[in-house]
Amino acid sequence: MAGRQGADDLFDSILFADERFRGEGYQEGFEKGTSRGLQNGRRHGASHGARLASEISFYYGFAVTWKCLLERNADDRSRKRLRALEALLNLTQKTPLDDPQAVKLQEDTEKLRSKFRQSFSPPVSSFVSNALPFC
Amino acid sequence: MSWVKAASLGGEDVFDDTADDLSLQSKEWTSNMKKRIKDGYVDGVNAGEEASLQEGFNQGFREGAAQTVAVGRLRGIVSAVWCWCQIQHPEQPAPSCVVDLLQRATRLEQAIVDGIRSALENPPPSVSDVSESMEDLEVRREEPGCQEMDCCRSEGETDQRNPCGSGECLDVLVQRCVDVASELGLPQELMDHIEELRSVSQSA
Repeated sequence: MAGRQGADDLFDSILFADERFRGEGYQEGFEKGTSRGLQNGRRHGASHGARLASEISFYYGFAVTWKCLLERNADDRSRKRLRALEALLNLTQKTPLDDPQAVKLQEDTEKLRSKFRQSFSPPVSSFVSNALPFC
Repeated sequence: MSWVKAASLGGEDVFDDTADDLSLQSKEWTSNMKKRIKDGYVDGVNAGEEASLQEGFNQGFREGAAQTVAVGRLRGIVSAVWCWCQIQHPEQPAPSCVVDLLQRATRLEQAIVDGIRSALENPPPSVSDVSESMEDLEVRREEPGCQEMDCCRSEGETDQRNPCGSGECLDVLVQRCVDVASELGLPQELMDHIEELRSVSQSA
């Protein structure tokens, strides 16, 4: 009986050897591939993140400066512009830069670009377009 | 018997006594199993890479974003000052101190982005990348100091990204921006926003 079991084990080890060796190779390869994927993904992500953060931060810096400069003026036109700038600033601060997969990120970025063009007159907004070489 | 004569004259064994069926089959078996391991390895690499690419991207995205927040904001501030000067005094060119500062901020940001792009386009090869193909060529590889070249490279990467050290250069430009704002008599609130950039870059 023991001999019969021994023979069965032997046949099993031969029959399943193919799958076992393939499986061992797969495990090792999977670890290697995971490491490579993380590295490659990280590099691509860094490039995208840098460009988007540069653009959004630019809008923030520009708008906050304009707001400071406008606040010195007391006329109605300036007050109206200030309200528009407040809305723009809120949008820059809400745009999430910590989750690139967030659907909100894409939507908010488009809204931000459009709002920026609306908030500033053509000479200023075209200056800004030229000043954003990475986008 | 002619074959006996031929055998003794030729000095060759007509029957190969060293031939061993089991040995041949064993070699064939080993070769087949090595092939299975290799096939499995290739499939495993592809599956692993696909599974981890998004996670890597997300991590890199946050890291890349952190590098340009402060300098992007600075460029926005200086650009707004430039535009303001042009609108207030259209008959004059913008002050040279503002133009100079804008150029320096733009250069710094470009250097940071170039550094990130350069790392993207020229990824350092890992030893195992090279050794996979070298094994095929049955060439023995020399053991480098580290198992993976990436570990030594990662320390140097920061320097390659920005030769002047992004923290130091940004601090210099932030100070210059404060000086320019003061020279132009710009509001204190604006100077406070400029000073804030120091803490933004430190937390990045």
